[in-house]
Amino acid sequence: MKGLVITVLGILVFVCSLKVLALPQTSAQGTKAAKAVPEKKIDEAKEGERRFQENCGRCHNPPESISPREVKAVLQHMRVRAMLSAEDERLILKYLAP
Amino acid sequence: MNRVLLLALGLFCAASELCAQSDPPDVPILSGALAFQGSTTAGATSFQPIIVPVLVAPFGDHWLVESRGEIEGFIARQDGTSGPYSGQFFASLDYLQLDYIANPHLTVTVGRFLTPFNIYNERFPLWVANLEDTPIIYTIGTRPSGSSNGGMVRGDAIARPGWIWNYTAYFSVLTTTENLQSGRSAGGRTGVFLPKAGLEVGVSYQRFLQNGDFNSSGAYLAWQPPQIPLDVRGEYAHSPGGQGYWLEGAYRLASSRSTTNWLSRLQAVARVQQYFKRQPTPEDALPSADVNQFDFGLNYYLPHEIRLNGSYGRQYSSAGNANIWNFEIVYRFLFPAWPGGR
Repeated sequence: MKGLVITVLGILVFVCSLKVLALPQTSAQGTKAAKAVPEKKIDEAKEGERRFQENCGRCHNPPESISPREVKAVLQHMRVRAMLSAEDERLILKYLAP
Repeated sequence: MNRVLLLALGLFCAASELCAQSDPPDVPILSGALAFQGSTTAGATSFQPIIVPVLVAPFGDHWLVESRGEIEGFIARQDGTSGPYSGQFFASLDYLQLDYIANPHLTVTVGRFLTPFNIYNERFPLWVANLEDTPIIYTIGTRPSGSSNGGMVRGDAIARPGWIWNYTAYFSVLTTTENLQSGRSAGGRTGVFLPKAGLEVGVSYQRFLQNGDFNSSGAYLAWQPPQIPLDVRGEYAHSPGGQGYWLEGAYRLASSRSTTNWLSRLQAVARVQQYFKRQPTPEDALPSADVNQFDFGLNYYLPHEIRLNGSYGRQYSSAGNANIWNFEIVYRFLFPAWPGGR
């Protein structure tokens, strides 16, 4: 049992350290996304809706409301459950939280 | 031990705080459902209040912790059809897993996870399932608890615009701890999804490595034609204890999937099942005789993520025929599990 607890703690510490190292890169990606042209955003939202219907809509309806703070966790959860691709996740994110 | 748990909680909170700084933010969410079910089977009425919390905590783009528990009450008359009502409460942990999303082709999972045999166990929690009762063959390939403790890999082996080939493989160790039971087993599932047709077909296999080693196998089908609000799902499963299938159709009363009016919130459901008993095996939780059953139900999707469900089923079996009436109300919730507003 102790070994299991130590392993879990080790994993948590490892995850934290990875996240700290990854922060600057994430911010840079966000800056690039902000420069995208509006037309592209609209197209991506439409494509995201299509991919939502194609993948997520097989089991459930779109959520009535979902905030930008919630959407990433939801999509990563579904990426594992529904085997969404990274591109699916990115486009559905545009649809759910444009 | 308590100090260790506090330290783990502190680290978890610290990780969440760090991750909350990224864009989009890595905010953990608390989701799940509250439900109240009523059922009358062969004259015996029972009620079940249920809460199913789901916690999801992403850590960057590759790491994810997911957990789902279930607290369920069972309230029924003491001797079935007469006597005073009494209740019991149960709690279980469906999954608590750490996922590493390496790339679209591979996700590695360790911990406790839902056993990936066919599709019902993984894809149809109570807020998604169209009918309240689980299929008769549900325990084939998922015994003893529906969950496994061990490791799993999954992903899309090949993804093309016209078709996607997905796979899942896992192993599990024997665990007898209360509420955390799992069997010693290994298995997998693979399927092909055709997005344009909305069709997925696949097969499952499990080798149960205890109680005299035996195999379970299965096949599944899910079809949602894109232009019609029709959902067709079905499974076949075979084990030394028995074999059977279920096939379900659900139709939204709308002209298309995008239609939204009061009538489009209504969904008619029908399911047929057949089960054929073979040699009894330990913990299979399968009927003791052949069973034929059909169910008809209506779902109404209210605003604010509330769903009402009512169904009638008739079961034919040499152990006795029965009418099955079910009613259910489900509320689906979702909110951030960290301060800062929505």
